[in-house]
Amino acid sequence: MNTHVNSDFTPDALVIGAGIAGLQSALDLADQGLQVLLVERQPSIGGHMIALSKVYPTLDCASCITTPKMSAAAHHPNITILTNTEVEGIETRDEVHHVRLLQKPTYVNFDKCIGCRLCEYACDTEYPDPFEEGLGSVKAIAVPFTNAIPQKAVLNAEVCGTCGSCARVCPTGAIEYDQQPRRLMIRTDAVIVASGFNLNALTVKPQYNAQRSRNIISPLMLERLLAPHGPYGRVLRPSDGKMPSSIAFVQCAGSRDESIGVSYCSRVCCMYAIKQAMLLSGALPLADITIYYMDIRAFGKGYEQFYQNAKAMGINFVRGKVARINPVEDGDLSLHVETTEDAENPLQERRHDLVVLAQGMIPGWQPSATTPVTCSANGFVAAPTLTAPTATTAPGIFVAGTAAGPKDIVDTIAEAGAAAMQASQYLYQKRSAILVG
Amino acid sequence: MARVVNPSLVKTIRKHGAGRHLDISACFNCGNCTAVCPLAEDSGGFPRRVIRMAQVGMEKELLASEELWRCYACGECTQTCPRQADPAGFMAAARSYAIARYDVTGLAALANRSLLGNLAVFGLFSSIFSALLLSRMAPGNPSLPLFHFLPGEWIHNIGVALFVVVGLSAFFGMASMTWRVWSQQRSGGTSLRLATLPGAFYSAIAEALLHRRFQQCNEDAGATEHAAQPWYVRPWLVHASVMGGFVAMLIATTLDFLIKPIGSAVPPWYPMRILGTVGGLVCLYGLSIVLLRRAQGREHPYKKSAFADWFFPTLLALTVLTGIVCEVIVYLPAPTTFGHMVFFAHVVLAMDVVALLPLTKFAHVLYRTLALTLFAWRHAPAKVTASAQAEA
Repeated sequence: MNTHVNSDFTPDALVIGAGIAGLQSALDLADQGLQVLLVERQPSIGGHMIALSKVYPTLDCASCITTPKMSAAAHHPNITILTNTEVEGIETRDEVHHVRLLQKPTYVNFDKCIGCRLCEYACDTEYPDPFEEGLGSVKAIAVPFTNAIPQKAVLNAEVCGTCGSCARVCPTGAIEYDQQPRRLMIRTDAVIVASGFNLNALTVKPQYNAQRSRNIISPLMLERLLAPHGPYGRVLRPSDGKMPSSIAFVQCAGSRDESIGVSYCSRVCCMYAIKQAMLLSGALPLADITIYYMDIRAFGKGYEQFYQNAKAMGINFVRGKVARINPVEDGDLSLHVETTEDAENPLQERRHDLVVLAQGMIPGWQPSATTPVTCSANGFVAAPTLTAPTATTAPGIFVAGTAAGPKDIVDTIAEAGAAAMQASQYLYQKRSAILVG
Repeated sequence: MARVVNPSLVKTIRKHGAGRHLDISACFNCGNCTAVCPLAEDSGGFPRRVIRMAQVGMEKELLASEELWRCYACGECTQTCPRQADPAGFMAAARSYAIARYDVTGLAALANRSLLGNLAVFGLFSSIFSALLLSRMAPGNPSLPLFHFLPGEWIHNIGVALFVVVGLSAFFGMASMTWRVWSQQRSGGTSLRLATLPGAFYSAIAEALLHRRFQQCNEDAGATEHAAQPWYVRPWLVHASVMGGFVAMLIATTLDFLIKPIGSAVPPWYPMRILGTVGGLVCLYGLSIVLLRRAQGREHPYKKSAFADWFFPTLLALTVLTGIVCEVIVYLPAPTTFGHMVFFAHVVLAMDVVALLPLTKFAHVLYRTLALTLFAWRHAPAKVTASAQAEA
């Protein structure tokens, strides 16, 4: 894997973000013979998708799709990958994008590290594992997760006690406590923004009291609980390790709600809730599973059938927006909801022992302040016209995936391919003009 | 029976609301409002079902729903509405619409539809009362006692006539509401027993006086701004002070008319005068909080105001203010021309308040009490028959 970059390097295209969108764009560009620099701020490429359990509507294993892409990008002769690196800004002069990069220290020399994990075994400082959404713990120096790329240890300086045991056991002397941040200026002709999404906070709706119970969890936590290589190896609720017997999915808990400032639909929650409900009924065959929804948006190919299958499997769908969630005894939660399809007894207080809040998708990065790219009112990268969904307001800069707005994996991959195509076409036209001129 | 959807009902109701802010067509019936409402009980009647009635044009059902009047507009639903459709504002607008429809004279329709109509009705009544008073006024002598300047007997007679007219108007309005509820209930097949009526009426009056449910508006609100408000500006207390003060003034004035010879001088510590004074001050406190909060427009339920929300408290506040000035003037050696003018204004405004009772927002006094009575009556425990007892 090529990770050596200095400011003389002038790739044909630079891709910001190495989630599924960035990987797909980078591969599609590199396969055309173009040099690509792929920049990722996390210690591993793979994005959100590598942490998911399965994908809808096929219930394919998510890592089985993502890992080959990660691997292909890592081994591609035309792709250079920079992890732990953030884009500080882009300036465009004479149609050339000058991208300022900040490579953060990992305190491990990647040229020397062989990924043997001896440092990880020797380290005795642990903190909540970000890859496991805080459900498990990880050592202060560790390879980010099992199938991470690059397979290099990274030291978390915020929790490290600098005891020196990792440096003592490292067979190659790769630990460098004095590593400094490194700034780079990369000149390139085309940029693809594939910076992805974040979820808004679990506590964004005060009525849901998420700060008062550990059993109100995020959907990404549930993905980890459901993943075969997850933190507990099975589905247990966080507060006491009990096997949940009644699970509620509260939809639109962070989007389609103007009272929290996110009025748009996040477009994935209906489907992943259905998928998670299906997986849960496999993992916990005796559990009652209820999805509280305003309307089910099963819009994609095969989605409606997926929804109907879930209903036929016995998953309860209750129409009504949950108004309040209150912790009750035994770590359980009480949901107050008007079940709008129940004419006799609509107002109900329903008890569950695990609640999943469908958080809203918000932009992972807002490039409008530091780059020529403009964002729309909701913070996602704005497209100038409907007919060019992967274009941005800045010529030569393209956008793919959830950086442009909430969308699911299927749409993200399609859009990433389209953005790569647009970028290579742009490069071709620009260069043939130079040749002719 | 096939139901015909009537989309114009929402538009009509919208005219009664706080103008362009009210966009109830944004509502997609998720049920958040009903679930978040501290007052919606297990029957789950409002606001969502009432909104739904309006959206599909079920006018009969809407006008027959007591639920409209069980809402105290605390604003919890509006604050948490995912669509910012302002359910609380809708409920207020629908109440205004109902007042317009229950009224038999047609004046309420005019007064509730627009600010201009409201002012027109107000102007009409003010002119009538002014003309009546002017006809017996004794001008020219600034030292004339107030009740000689405007003859007390004459005010008394106009007042009695006014009460008769307003009483009739209120009666017909309430009869209209009762009939609508009744015919809806009859089609629903509920049987009512006369024996439970007094209990139901008592519960409605008790609620009106004690604001028990109104207090829940603040107590159950949970993570909202109401909980942070100091007790003396909580909406239920503000309403209680306006209402309590008004009732005290009403009692004082009525007893004055019944017991005291008209225009006779009494000391300030005369019990009825104390009652009136204290009532006036308490009422004025409540009104000033209402008007101040509406002017600030920061918190529910004062965030969005329709003209009716301004008109009624302002009218009441002016009446009380002029009344207090008059009271001071009574104890001065001689009323001046200014005193005469204020007294004239006070009498006209006080008559306006009474005359507008069945026509404006003030009509909630009638309809809310009636609706609470009917609701309690309808939900009174059914008669336990001997056979049912035997079964139990």
